[in-house]
Amino acid sequence: MASNKPVIVRFYRFQNRLKEKTSGLAPGRASISPEALEKAEQALSKMSEDYPDWVSGLVVKLQEQHGRCVDSPELRRDCFETINHMAHDMKGQGGTFGYPLITNFADSLYGFTIQRPGDISDNQIELVKGHLDAMRAVIRGRVSGNGGEIGEKLSEGLSEAIKKYELEGEG
Amino acid sequence: MSDYDFDRVNVLLAEDSQFIRSLLTNSLKVLGVGNVFPVEHGGDAIHFLNRVKNEPMKVGVQQIDIVISNWDMHPIDGMMLLRWIRRHKDSPDRFVPFVMITSYTEPERIVQAREMGVTDILAKPFTIKNIGEKLISIIERPRQFVHTKEFFGPDRRRQKFPPKVERRVLTDKSEGVEIIRG
Repeated sequence: MASNKPVIVRFYRFQNRLKEKTSGLAPGRASISPEALEKAEQALSKMSEDYPDWVSGLVVKLQEQHGRCVDSPELRRDCFETINHMAHDMKGQGGTFGYPLITNFADSLYGFTIQRPGDISDNQIELVKGHLDAMRAVIRGRVSGNGGEIGEKLSEGLSEAIKKYELEGEG
Repeated sequence: MSDYDFDRVNVLLAEDSQFIRSLLTNSLKVLGVGNVFPVEHGGDAIHFLNRVKNEPMKVGVQQIDIVISNWDMHPIDGMMLLRWIRRHKDSPDRFVPFVMITSYTEPERIVQAREMGVTDILAKPFTIKNIGEKLISIIERPRQFVHTKEFFGPDRRRQKFPPKVERRVLTDKSEGVEIIRG
């Protein structure tokens, strides 16, 4: 008798109510109407126009955090945590709005501000500024896409700064 | 082939970034989703779900059909929300499809979310097409839920293995298997 045996796994199988709700009982697959997709894409690109302003606002906030790091070394850990969270947020967004460079720089800032043991040095603070400067340059110049030559220069400048910092860290 | 009508679909959206929140709300509405309920973090989402359970008339919705949530939020993040929905006794619907939005795409992160019972992952940065594909996948390819001692969530075995690959597969007739239909 199966009922006397202990149950080790339960499978729950339900009627597909969501399918009934969205495409009725008609057999076969439905699709999202191309018009709706097109309209949604348009709405997205409309919002993308506001994206640079929005990022500028975030960069100002990051700058405030940077200023606090410079002025009050005892607050550095807290500030870095805030910067790290903001960078994580930004890294997920730039690409959606046609600014992959913002995603790249935010990603680098995110990786670089993850908390490590030991004090946060002045050079690290300086490097935060390097990231913010690069982001500002992207927004000011409306450098969308990979940014061509300007984008390359900005990225190179930033990786050099990071390399320099890492070398100093070792020495 | 007909078009989906999302007009009766209720989506709960938890996203702490105001910009992304309004972007997603807007996109879902333009795609035809009838009701999008945006909240700011997991705690607000839990509060909302409690209200749906306890006072549906006041909230104006009987049931949430899909939860879309960011992972990284404060103070209650997406994983804590998912855990509550799948495991808490007060959860109004432990089976609700749950899409996690995240820029964490490291494999171990994905596994972590699947172990917690996530239905699908929407990687950031996303496109409208990605959002549409997730909706279709949820509607067209629902998975049975599996409940064992260690796991509760949508069946993690989505792949179809060729029959030659040896796997420990329980069939409906195996000992210790109980099927619950609804």
